[in-house]
Amino acid sequence: MRNIIWLAWDEVTRLLSTRRGMLSLLGFLLLWLAVLNYGILPAATLFAGGRESGVNDILLPSLGLSAWQQWPAPEMAVYWGICLYLLPFLAVLTAADQTASDRSRGTLRYLVLRCSRLHIFVGRFLGQCVISGMVILLTLASVLVIIAMTSTERLPEVLARSPVIMVNLMLVLLPYIALMALVSAMAKSARQATLYAVILWISVSLLVEYAQAKFGSLAILDWVLPGSQVKQLLRLADWQMLNLAPIPIVHTVVLLSVGAWVMWRRDL
Amino acid sequence: MNLIRCQQLVKRYGSTVALDNLTIDIDAGEPIALIGPNGAGKTTLLSVVCGFIKPTSGDVSILGHPPGAAALGGQLAALPQDAQLDPRMSVMRQLRFFARLQGMSKSQAVQEVDRVLEIVDQRDSAERKPTQLSHGMRKRIAIAQALIGQPKIVLLDEPTAGIDPPNAKLIRDVIREQSHNTTFIVSSHNLDELERLCATVIYLEKGHLVSFGPVAEDSVNDVLTLRLPNVDEAEFISAALQLSAVKQVKRASQGDYLLETSDDLQSSAALMQLLHERGWRYRHLSRGKTLEERLYG
Repeated sequence: MRNIIWLAWDEVTRLLSTRRGMLSLLGFLLLWLAVLNYGILPAATLFAGGRESGVNDILLPSLGLSAWQQWPAPEMAVYWGICLYLLPFLAVLTAADQTASDRSRGTLRYLVLRCSRLHIFVGRFLGQCVISGMVILLTLASVLVIIAMTSTERLPEVLARSPVIMVNLMLVLLPYIALMALVSAMAKSARQATLYAVILWISVSLLVEYAQAKFGSLAILDWVLPGSQVKQLLRLADWQMLNLAPIPIVHTVVLLSVGAWVMWRRDL
Repeated sequence: MNLIRCQQLVKRYGSTVALDNLTIDIDAGEPIALIGPNGAGKTTLLSVVCGFIKPTSGDVSILGHPPGAAALGGQLAALPQDAQLDPRMSVMRQLRFFARLQGMSKSQAVQEVDRVLEIVDQRDSAERKPTQLSHGMRKRIAIAQALIGQPKIVLLDEPTAGIDPPNAKLIRDVIREQSHNTTFIVSSHNLDELERLCATVIYLEKGHLVSFGPVAEDSVNDVLTLRLPNVDEAEFISAALQLSAVKQVKRASQGDYLLETSDDLQSSAALMQLLHERGWRYRHLSRGKTLEERLYG
């Protein structure tokens, strides 16, 4: 267990201590500033005046997003909606190189002499989870600062609701990080891992479509792909979202199990 | 003490057999040479022992544990062929991380990394990234990582391949100095180097174990090997055959001769006398055949 923690910590610190890691963070920071400025702020303004403009009564219900009105601040609702789609992409990009380049470079051999392959696999996965957790924390903090700047009255309620967002976003990201752990164990580089993930995604999507065409609409087929619960999550705004938690947890367990098997089997 | 036990070990890559029913017991002791032509299975054997690849069949145990067992952490170390450290992080950070993975505390890791870098004379490189180092320096650092925690077994796959003579000498010196506490198994194509460094030799060919025994032919007393460059070959052979204890002289390679004798001590003395009288300056005289001559002569 101690080695898993060390490996996870190493995964986090190598992001923060390498030039590539710092450039990735800088890139993300710029992207997030753009999202805040051109996405969250204007949309929040629009929803804030929703009663007069008809957004609350007409637009949101027609999109199936009435639950957005239950968030204590419109910024929070927009943040939730954007992050449900944006953060998985970021997680896929940052988690692509969990073991791939270390394998092709031979660095994994140095590690395998000191700890088991399973420890390396799990440690790197947990490290990426911590990185994603930090991203959620920082982006949410930036939104909370904006909310606090406009109105401090809403802050207690916003802070009380923040754990809902953090926990549920983390649950959404887990299967994506697990998927990248699996493809990274198969690939020789981050780029190849990303390509494998795309191929896997498209293949499974096509298989699901084929199965639905062949056997009719089976409920289980709707939940095969990671992130398949996101549409439902958009329509929820409280701890009731945890009702959907088994879906990403099952995805994560399955993907991690296959990934650990690949990691155990592959030559180094 | 038995360090490594391989029983009926087979490793196939598709239709290619890299290790073919290999059975061998390796005990603790002086450095062991692992030799054989390209494709003999040397790197495959080392990779199986280290747990980098899995055998197709057969059993391997290292200090009584299977390859990759947690109990081997810090007991078995290696310099894998072509493996590189992460180019993005400093040498010191990576070596300290390895030490921590081996169960050392922060202060122990700091001390241990200082110690191993000192052994390979690379303390000045500690803060640098691997990409800022020469090939020889990187090799020395890679050997330093193998010495972390004073492991019982260190497997070195071609430790001096492609590096300059001063670096190669330093690596040989490190192996000699550290072999009191650690058993080194050294794979190399440099037979002269292995002959000077190792006490035992494992010879593989096409995945088979051809021989496993001492490097030096201590029991051999009927062959001398003489290195005598810059002397006319015919003249030397003719003169040597005049010596009473010398039965036959064979040219092994340019300037190298194998002398079959009835008594190696008597013929050595006579040979030295001959060289003295003729003013022929020899470079090397040894009992028995060289490793190269024994294996490929």
